[in-house]
Amino acid sequence: MEQALTRNFCIIAHIDHGKSTLADRLIELTGTLRPDEIGEQVMDSMELERERGITIKAKAVRLHYEANNGQTYRLNLVDTPGHVDFSYEVSRTLVACEGAVLVIDATQGIQAQTLANTYLAMEHNLEVIPVINKIDLPGSEPERVLEEIVSVLGYQAPDILLMSAKTGQGVPPLLEEIVRRIPPPKGDAGRPLRALIFDSRYDAYKGVIAYLRVTDGRISKGDRLRLMSNNTEMEVLEVGYFAPQPCPATELTAGDVGYIATGLKSVVECRVGDTVTTLNGDVTEPLIGYRPPKPMVFAGIYTTQAEDYKYLREAIEKLNLNDASLTYEPESSPILGYGFRCGFLGLLHLDIVRERLKREFSLSLVVTAPGVTFVITKTSGEQLTITNPADFPEPTEIEKTEEPWVKISIITPSSFIGALMELLSESEGIYKYTEYLGQHQAVGELGQRVRLEYEMPLRCMLTVFYDQMKSRSRGYASLDYEFTGFREAKLVKLDVLVNEVPVDAFSRIIPPEKAQEVGRALVAKLREVIPRQLFKVPIQAAVGSRIVARQNISAKRKDVLAKCYGGDVTRKRKLLEKQKEGKKKMKSIGRVEVPKEAFLDVLKLG
Amino acid sequence: MPFCRRKCLYCSFVSYDNREADIPLYLSALKKELIGRAGGECIRSIYLGGGTPSLLPAEGIGDLLSLISTLFIMDEAAEITIEANPGTIDEAYLTAIRKSGVNRLSLGVQSLYDRELAMLGRIHTAAEASDAVRFARGSGFDNLSLDLIYGLPGQTLTDWQHSLENALAMGPEHLSLYALTLEEDTPMWTAIEEGSLPEIDPDLSADQYELAEDLLTAHDYSHYEISNWARQGRECRHNLTYWRNLPYLGVGAAAHSCIDGHRLANSNSLDKYIADFSGKTSPLPELDEEISPELELAETSILGLRLCKGVNADDIKSRFGIDILEHYRRQVEEMVDAGLLEQTDRHIRLTRRGRLLSNEVFWRFLPG
Repeated sequence: MEQALTRNFCIIAHIDHGKSTLADRLIELTGTLRPDEIGEQVMDSMELERERGITIKAKAVRLHYEANNGQTYRLNLVDTPGHVDFSYEVSRTLVACEGAVLVIDATQGIQAQTLANTYLAMEHNLEVIPVINKIDLPGSEPERVLEEIVSVLGYQAPDILLMSAKTGQGVPPLLEEIVRRIPPPKGDAGRPLRALIFDSRYDAYKGVIAYLRVTDGRISKGDRLRLMSNNTEMEVLEVGYFAPQPCPATELTAGDVGYIATGLKSVVECRVGDTVTTLNGDVTEPLIGYRPPKPMVFAGIYTTQAEDYKYLREAIEKLNLNDASLTYEPESSPILGYGFRCGFLGLLHLDIVRERLKREFSLSLVVTAPGVTFVITKTSGEQLTITNPADFPEPTEIEKTEEPWVKISIITPSSFIGALMELLSESEGIYKYTEYLGQHQAVGELGQRVRLEYEMPLRCMLTVFYDQMKSRSRGYASLDYEFTGFREAKLVKLDVLVNEVPVDAFSRIIPPEKAQEVGRALVAKLREVIPRQLFKVPIQAAVGSRIVARQNISAKRKDVLAKCYGGDVTRKRKLLEKQKEGKKKMKSIGRVEVPKEAFLDVLKLG
Repeated sequence: MPFCRRKCLYCSFVSYDNREADIPLYLSALKKELIGRAGGECIRSIYLGGGTPSLLPAEGIGDLLSLISTLFIMDEAAEITIEANPGTIDEAYLTAIRKSGVNRLSLGVQSLYDRELAMLGRIHTAAEASDAVRFARGSGFDNLSLDLIYGLPGQTLTDWQHSLENALAMGPEHLSLYALTLEEDTPMWTAIEEGSLPEIDPDLSADQYELAEDLLTAHDYSHYEISNWARQGRECRHNLTYWRNLPYLGVGAAAHSCIDGHRLANSNSLDKYIADFSGKTSPLPELDEEISPELELAETSILGLRLCKGVNADDIKSRFGIDILEHYRRQVEEMVDAGLLEQTDRHIRLTRRGRLLSNEVFWRFLPG
């Protein structure tokens, strides 16, 4: 097929604005699948993705569309991950396309990730087709949203489509617009091969399947190819495209989107953003700079039952086969036993991994409070990268501490600005600026929509920030963030001591001026959840050797069965057996026995 | 005797109100059961308890006791106790049952404050309780026990001291003092959950217990079991059987027995019990638990430790062939270190603190 009849595009949207529903509709309208074959949301095949309405792994579908001009076009629809944690994957997907359909919910208007994704598409010179979706919903305000798109994003009203992906209303014109407005791919099938990997997954039979966009040259079965970032060589076992099932083909040529089966054993060898070329060395420049995914958020993952450790190891290894951005290292804790310190792209990524471990591997987990990477220069000049608070050095050994910062962008109706600014300043945020979106006169009772931009330490976003943002804005505010770099920080490690024994899992890294407040909260919580013991138990919070908070749990005085006569013996013994079972389930900190739930309660505490 | 005029608000025992009309049927079922289970054993004590035995007619009690004396070999000095509710008895009734052979009376006084009695849902007043004591003495009972409850919602240390001193003034031979223990299915539990009664402070209950220990010692009562005190020689012989983990036969609805390494229980249902024992054949017990030697050793140790004198390792060894000081060495050391047990030569017993924390000691003795 002629390159001139190919269109490569993706759909970008804020979470829940209808990206997957639109993809389904396009698949159906082009006859790629019959409606009864579609089910719901073909492009989100993982159960978890459907439940959360997010797309975790990008995929590509080839559609054949007979346009009004009588020509049949080959439309390659590339799905993008819909969440900010995966912005690197999104940007690689965009490189594989010439155009993007930007979906905006008619009831919500522009949200934080709408902007982030639009700017990304603009950066990559994509032709953007804005569409206002969900116009069938009672609360939809297409005019207001249209005005917002025009004034905030600078598109012209006639170029914006109105539709309901759910009912199909207004969708057919989009196919025409895709053909008309999105340019065909450039590139030359006669030049040496260059193809960009925008996603990969592991298949037990064929090894790693790489999803790629061929920019120049061609790929056929049996070709021997090379990955430019690490010079890994591989043989193409199969080449093809998705419709949406894998369809083997004879070759992929310049401008095409499809897949190759590589026989490689791990996605870690074949990563998103890498360039594929031939072995002969004709190509020296990769398509774009490859950057390995960098975990930003870390947490310890343990099993509730120590004997399940080996299953956890197997499960994490399996997930890692398909998720190169998940990192893991064995770790052990005196209380939690053996587990892994895992690195994630962000909180959502952590959530997804945790949920998959629970559901797909039926594991019962303990996940410690998430934290970030700290770069510490010691007074000795030694530099450390720390992902576990327990490894944080003593205050006197630290010359300099650096921590990651993010730029965050929040879009909210103006009536919540005050509450959100308060939250942001509590969260160590630094104000950058405010931008009013659109000039629409008919502002609702919640006021005009505003974008707030702040900078803040990533550390401050990890625990309660997102939930607080949602609750203080009654769910209206949306968030986007990007990593901006490391900055110097003044931080200390707060330790918690139970009966004079420090408990690693409870340590946290905080600014010194918050030590007392956080220490008091932790100590109070522990006092509440640790049952009284046979002896008095002091609970302390300390920075180095300085105690910042302390409370005692007084010794238990009464635990007695008042009556025990003939008719009671069996029943009373059963109560004692239950007590014994309960004790067995407890974890010991020194001599103190603590129910696991108490640990979890405190680990959850921000 | 699973009949009560009214269920008390803290009670989760098997007992029925508004069923007194079935007492004659129940008594004949009881006799059938006794006849079916008797094997000419020697008996040292009889205890008529559970529910409100003093609702039975005096003649019924007399019949029952004469049947027992024909079915079993009665020790001449057998202790025969009946539990009585102060709201159900008069001197004529007590005189009648004393004549039929009952020689020990256990009165459910519970409190000597009307306000507390009302909260508990008792059917009698404090004045009726002291009347009952007077009737008991007048009818010839010289072995009298009073039950009291502490740890009541809102009960102060002084309130408790008041009830206790008033009870002591009645000069009972024996006192049972129970910490209020509420099960989830009781109205008082619900009232606390709903906040219409204050929560029970376990530390205050502990203070009340210790106050009782001191006060009763000063009045010359010996503390012989976690919840029981008696004048010299007036320890309840019947209950000692339980704490020594010796065999006993229980008859009636919900009654438990412990015979030949088995613990047996009858149905909790009054109707089922009456129906079962009205026919020709004896039904099987609802519960038949075989007590393994390991468990029997543990239970013997645990029950024995409820007694203030504790257990003697040699006594246990002669019975089971096992030295508990070896067998439970780790547990004993740990509990001695924690100050809950004390060991003197071959003898272990709970300390004063250990009596209040005895569950912490006992669960450690369970197998598994």
